[in-house]
Amino acid sequence: MSSNRKTAASRLERKNYKWIYLFLLPSFIVFVTFYIQPIFTVFYTSFTKWDGFNKPKFIGLTNYINMFGNTAFRYSLKNLLLWSFIAAVFHVGFGVLVAFAIFKKPFGWKFTRAVFMIPNVISAAAWAMIYRFMFHDDMGMINNIIRKFNPDFHVQWFYQSPFAFIAVTLTWLFYAVIVTLIVLNDLFAIPGDLFEAARVDGASDFQLIKYIQLPLCKNAIGTSIIASITARVAMYEQIALTTAGGPGDDTMNLPVILVKSIMDLKYGYANANGVIMFILGLFILWLVNRLFKMDESVY
Amino acid sequence: MKLKNIRKNLSKVFTYTLLAFTVIISIFPIIWVIMSAFKDNAMILSDPFALPKQISFEPFVYIFSKYDFGRYFINSFLISVSSTLVALIFFAMGSYVLAKYEFPGKNLVFILYTVTLLVPAQSKAQPIFSLIMKLGLYDNIWGVALVYVSMGLAISTFILKPAFMAVPKSLDEAAVIEGANFFTVFWEINLPLAKGGLATAGILMFLGNWNEYFYASILTSSDTTRTLPLALQFFTEAFSYNYPRLFAALTVVILPGIILYILAQEQVQASVASSGIKG
Repeated sequence: MSSNRKTAASRLERKNYKWIYLFLLPSFIVFVTFYIQPIFTVFYTSFTKWDGFNKPKFIGLTNYINMFGNTAFRYSLKNLLLWSFIAAVFHVGFGVLVAFAIFKKPFGWKFTRAVFMIPNVISAAAWAMIYRFMFHDDMGMINNIIRKFNPDFHVQWFYQSPFAFIAVTLTWLFYAVIVTLIVLNDLFAIPGDLFEAARVDGASDFQLIKYIQLPLCKNAIGTSIIASITARVAMYEQIALTTAGGPGDDTMNLPVILVKSIMDLKYGYANANGVIMFILGLFILWLVNRLFKMDESVY
Repeated sequence: MKLKNIRKNLSKVFTYTLLAFTVIISIFPIIWVIMSAFKDNAMILSDPFALPKQISFEPFVYIFSKYDFGRYFINSFLISVSSTLVALIFFAMGSYVLAKYEFPGKNLVFILYTVTLLVPAQSKAQPIFSLIMKLGLYDNIWGVALVYVSMGLAISTFILKPAFMAVPKSLDEAAVIEGANFFTVFWEINLPLAKGGLATAGILMFLGNWNEYFYASILTSSDTTRTLPLALQFFTEAFSYNYPRLFAALTVVILPGIILYILAQEQVQASVASSGIKG
């Protein structure tokens, strides 16, 4: 009887195949047009010299060799390394700290969680502008606050080395609401009896955090680190609309180089940059997964 | 006992300091921008933290009358709404069959769709730029909208697949027995029952599209196709010494996103937490 029903069901499903693939078609066309085709083009043309008008000419690894010889690119990697470290330790650290504070449900926790999200729902371009004005020497509120204590303070934050790097970092450093929400999600999922059992055994707050809460939100923290470093690889508005990579190459990064190469009609070179971004993303995923042993279940 | 009290109080002080800091850094820059839009130049410079003395809408009137700010607003609106709606229909159809039917290649398709989350959007810039050129849609708002349709593929699949899985299969079977065809089962039974997930995915995609800057900046060049986030850059140049107008422009750009978020807070927060994306 049951096997009968099963074959009947699968016959029904086979009759549906036409519909199923028809339903899948629109999203699949989007996938092929805007993901598969571009990714193949990027990989293939990164080994060519190409201006977009003439045929791509195969030049082997020349684009990559030129890239590593280029100062702007080397600065980009150095900045990315430093920003990734700051993101993984301080940005994620701050988000986790806020999550643990909110988890105890102190007065105003819902309000804090709601408000913390606001910088993330407005345009990154607008946020970059807001920061540019906040750090403006005349009208910016940062320098106006500092001048209340030190009337002679004048710094062009986004135009002076080494302040530009600091200012760009501050546009995202504390805005870790994604981290907070992901970690909170895991904290709220911890079974309550686990806490009670630990309390009965006489565990202190600190021990609770160290032996129960932190290990159980290991995956959430790993995910946060991946997301925050990936966001550093793809950071664009916060740089393009403030320093444009300067002063010198102080705040240069890969997307800024990529856009400039497209505008200069150096498509092959632009795409070699794209390949590096792509590979960095996969590498970070692999590395964090390994470090956090994220595929192992925590329960 | 006393020591324990001190420690308890210290931890309280720490918690509230942390929360206060979080609230201030999140909300203060925005309040400062909106307040400054209603002040004059001199007051912005001398009294950055004071409330505006009188409310003047002159900067807002100016940016909408002397500049094509209305145009930018309409462009942003048309692009975001059309791309979100089309994407929502496409991805709902895809997620629906991924959630409810068995067919060859099912798992592969799901993995491919969701793994697109890891592709940095900028890394595909050149091929997408060339594609839009080839289609003759460069410097055209529909070219931008077309690219935006593709942006929410991974997030939508993450959100919509479980939403359709939550619709009981018995309802589908009952409808089939009563003679409903495949499309009717989808359109009249599953879509209405998955509206929570559809709303969440729609809001997230709309916010992303409304705020997008990178592709808008490389796919358009003229004044008539500009979107709001793009316009900001040109406003900085045009109003470099008229701060209230600058702040008025910023206010117009950021306010719609904030309002939408306030209206749909729970959904945005829940979806961000479960899929761990954006930003």
